[in-house]
Amino acid sequence: MAELLKANILTDVTFYRRSRLLLAFTLVFLLITALQSLPPLFMNSGVQNFNSLQQIVSTLNFFILILTAGMGLLIISSHLRNRSLKMVFTKPCRPEIWLLSAFLSAGAISLFLNIVVLGTGVLLSALWHLPVRVGLIFISAETFVASLGLIAYLILLAMVMHPAVAAIVAIIFNADLFYQFDLWTKAAIRSGNSSFALRMVERLFHSLYILLPIVYPFDKQTQNIHTSLRVLSSEWKYLVFAFGYALALSAFSYCVSLFALRKRNHI
Amino acid sequence: MIFAEDVHVHFRTRFLRRKVRALNGLTLEVRDGDFFALVGQNGAGKSTAMYCFLGLLRPTSGKVEIMGQVPELGCGLYKDIAYLPEEPHYHLYLTVEEATRYYSSLSGKRVSDKAINESLERLGLAQFKTLPLAKCSKGMKQKVGIAQCLIHEPKVLFLDEPTRGLDPLIVREFRETLREIHQRGATIVMNSHVLSEIEMLANRVAIIDSGKVVVQDELQNLLTLNQELYRVIFDANGNGAVPEYLTAVERTGHLVRAFLPKAKLSDFMEAVRTSGLLLHECSLKKTSLEESFFNIIKGEAMLAENANSRSGVSIS
Repeated sequence: MAELLKANILTDVTFYRRSRLLLAFTLVFLLITALQSLPPLFMNSGVQNFNSLQQIVSTLNFFILILTAGMGLLIISSHLRNRSLKMVFTKPCRPEIWLLSAFLSAGAISLFLNIVVLGTGVLLSALWHLPVRVGLIFISAETFVASLGLIAYLILLAMVMHPAVAAIVAIIFNADLFYQFDLWTKAAIRSGNSSFALRMVERLFHSLYILLPIVYPFDKQTQNIHTSLRVLSSEWKYLVFAFGYALALSAFSYCVSLFALRKRNHI
Repeated sequence: MIFAEDVHVHFRTRFLRRKVRALNGLTLEVRDGDFFALVGQNGAGKSTAMYCFLGLLRPTSGKVEIMGQVPELGCGLYKDIAYLPEEPHYHLYLTVEEATRYYSSLSGKRVSDKAINESLERLGLAQFKTLPLAKCSKGMKQKVGIAQCLIHEPKVLFLDEPTRGLDPLIVREFRETLREIHQRGATIVMNSHVLSEIEMLANRVAIIDSGKVVVQDELQNLLTLNQELYRVIFDANGNGAVPEYLTAVERTGHLVRAFLPKAKLSDFMEAVRTSGLLLHECSLKKTSLEESFFNIIKGEAMLAENANSRSGVSIS
């Protein structure tokens, strides 16, 4: 099994390396980040440098999230659309292993990128004579954990729907949207309009908000870390909780994706 | 070895959701050590049958077994199975060498660099090792498929139109390789439209029409259906008249090709002796697989037509 996992992961990493879409996205994002980081180079204020560091780390972490989610989407949709899986499943390589390797390969890239971003944060801190804050480690770890959940969710979406629809669902019809809708309908009910239809809609939005995955389930609790780059000892538990959430989401997405993969005709 | 019983596969079309019967009660048996050919028109169900054997497609009903097991995606059964698909649906982002290595490594057995290099060398792919599959021609992709198929010396081979897009030299070499593998005891199931190729390789043939097996027999039985005719080729040597009992007479210059009824053989020999005709060939007419195939398919079509007209009468 280890041999099969290794073979699949290496092939998946080759796919990511050679995907022009991912490369173009990476270049555009790095260009934006580079342009963002230019002005502070000409300033000598410690506060300005700290703000820039915070901004750059935040931008790069957002980039990692988007990129790894895209990898999860692409690896599945590309193989399904190319119908190349018939070459894999007519060998003693079970769908479980192939799917797991797709998830692990995207996870490994995410881990690598998070380490690079952490290294960049540390390097910039040293360059700008800022103390290296533990918050950088926390944010990188949190981004990595969030990316795992997101990869698994996008793999699931790509498995059951067209990649374009999957991307729309992930970007627009996500938990945040339904949270906003839930708040609006609740406000409308509180303001006196308590019709049956509105109450049903409110319940629907609330259920969707609960059901759909959340990228940062403890963002309110960890907001201070992102702004101050400091971590209180009591705040590390949120990282563990987030990891538990990502693990549960990944396990659920994996099981449903596997079911969908097995149900498909690979011809 | 491979066993399919009353296999039905029904699809629904994408928009109108019309039912399409890809397989319609297919029953066949491939014995251990057979070189088995599936023959049929386009859309007859040959590839669908192969997908069912490989577990890539779940039959709507019926039973499929390979070596006593029901094939499932990626199960241990595939350690001894190799599959060459009809369409080159490969991992196009990999290079020729990477793809061969990847597919070989999925078999769960270690593959040495030497084995991969030898395999690529043999198929004339050594100089294209670093070329991505996306940039390879159809024939080259097919060669990669053949390389990954043969590297582990499988016990069962499924080949879907294996020589499509290959150059004649490689076709010949591939044919020899298949013969070798078959002689070593492997069972081979092959789909092909090239009936002459099947005649050269297969020992058993199933003719599939409208999703079911119409005939399943030894190739020799299909080739010698008609033994009542001799095929004769002779030089008329300026003599315009040929015996009237010869049929299907074809003339190319002085050369005459015709069929001779078995009962008239001695008369014809006498005519040759007396009139000084130069006889080039006189052999029992063997029905080619192509002729058998057309006769069988034509017969099936007529049966279906009759059945339809009978049911039409009963309805009215």
